Amino acid sequence: MPIPFSASLRASLRALVRPSRAFADAPPPLGRALGRMLAVWVPLALANAGLTVWRALQAYGQLRQSGPPRWLERLSGADPEALWELFRTLPAPPAFDRVWPWLLLVVPIGLLGTWIHHAVWDHTGLWLLGGLKQKHGFRTTLVAEAEALRIAALGTLVGLVGFVPGLGALLTLPLILLDGYLWLFRGFALAARHGCEPWKGVAATAVHAVLLGTCALGLTAMMLMLVRVAP
Amino acid sequence: MRRVPWVALSVLALALGIRLAAFLAPLSNLMPGCAFKRLTGFACVTCGLTRSVLALGQGQWYEAIYWYPAMAFLLVLAPLAALWDVRRAWRGDAYLPLPTSRAVRFGVWILLGGIWALQVMRGI
Repeated sequence: MPIPFSASLRASLRALVRPSRAFADAPPPLGRALGRMLAVWVPLALANAGLTVWRALQAYGQLRQSGPPRWLERLSGADPEALWELFRTLPAPPAFDRVWPWLLLVVPIGLLGTWIHHAVWDHTGLWLLGGLKQKHGFRTTLVAEAEALRIAALGTLVGLVGFVPGLGALLTLPLILLDGYLWLFRGFALAARHGCEPWKGVAATAVHAVLLGTCALGLTAMMLMLVRVAP
Repeated sequence: MRRVPWVALSVLALALGIRLAAFLAPLSNLMPGCAFKRLTGFACVTCGLTRSVLALGQGQWYEAIYWYPAMAFLLVLAPLAALWDVRRAWRGDAYLPLPTSRAVRFGVWILLGGIWALQVMRGI
């Protein structure tokens, strides 16, 4: 009996192994590219988000019971007594049953946002590197991003393995490396659809990462800041 | 789709985001600072941007430009771009392609590098 989606999975794997040949066919229309991306990515992202939220609620509940770990006390630099008091006054976590319906709304919106975000910044990066041609506009980038992200969703599938108890810590480094590769992989789709050299497409995603990397650090800083707030 | 002023809507969303960010201003002193600067001792390319956004959200224009001088470009260009986009959408015109001139692209790279150098020199 054939395994469902096995052909699609094989094609995606082939594309990831040989990215320079992955986008040789004629590009699909934007609507079809977007539909195919969402059809693959939304179920995987929902599973990932569901497991992440479930784990986070469990961890939050445990933190409320056991108080702040030592590393958090050191990292936050806050007064340990104040931190303990803060943990004692934290509200109880909501039940997962009440949270998951929101994921059905938030996850697809988040994926669409990610797609547009990547398109805008990669397009800008490609322009900065001189990879844009007059006849190909932003719509071409949107199609390329949708095609690449459909294949890169395989990373979300692999990431689900990290939820297996005991494997998460072991797979941290390989998953980070895979994420890095999947980030650059979008560049091959960009280059193929815009008709420029692959290095320019890949470099455009790198420019995007450099310009936005510091903003990501800013977000992390904001989260740390929230940890440091004590009554 | 040509009738949708995407740029103007993005500017509106950005303005709303900046205004909302002002509510975080009272917590800004608790921020641990830029990890890149802490690691290397030099400002990163967006060092000062958070403080600039927080100041702008509170209507402190001078402080916003002090913390991140490139914010002045944004303050001038964003309303102009939004107005141009509304006019474009009203007329049903297509978006213009980005300029292909090497000089313009080179200018943007210099601008980005210049902002970074300026922030490093000022010790922001």
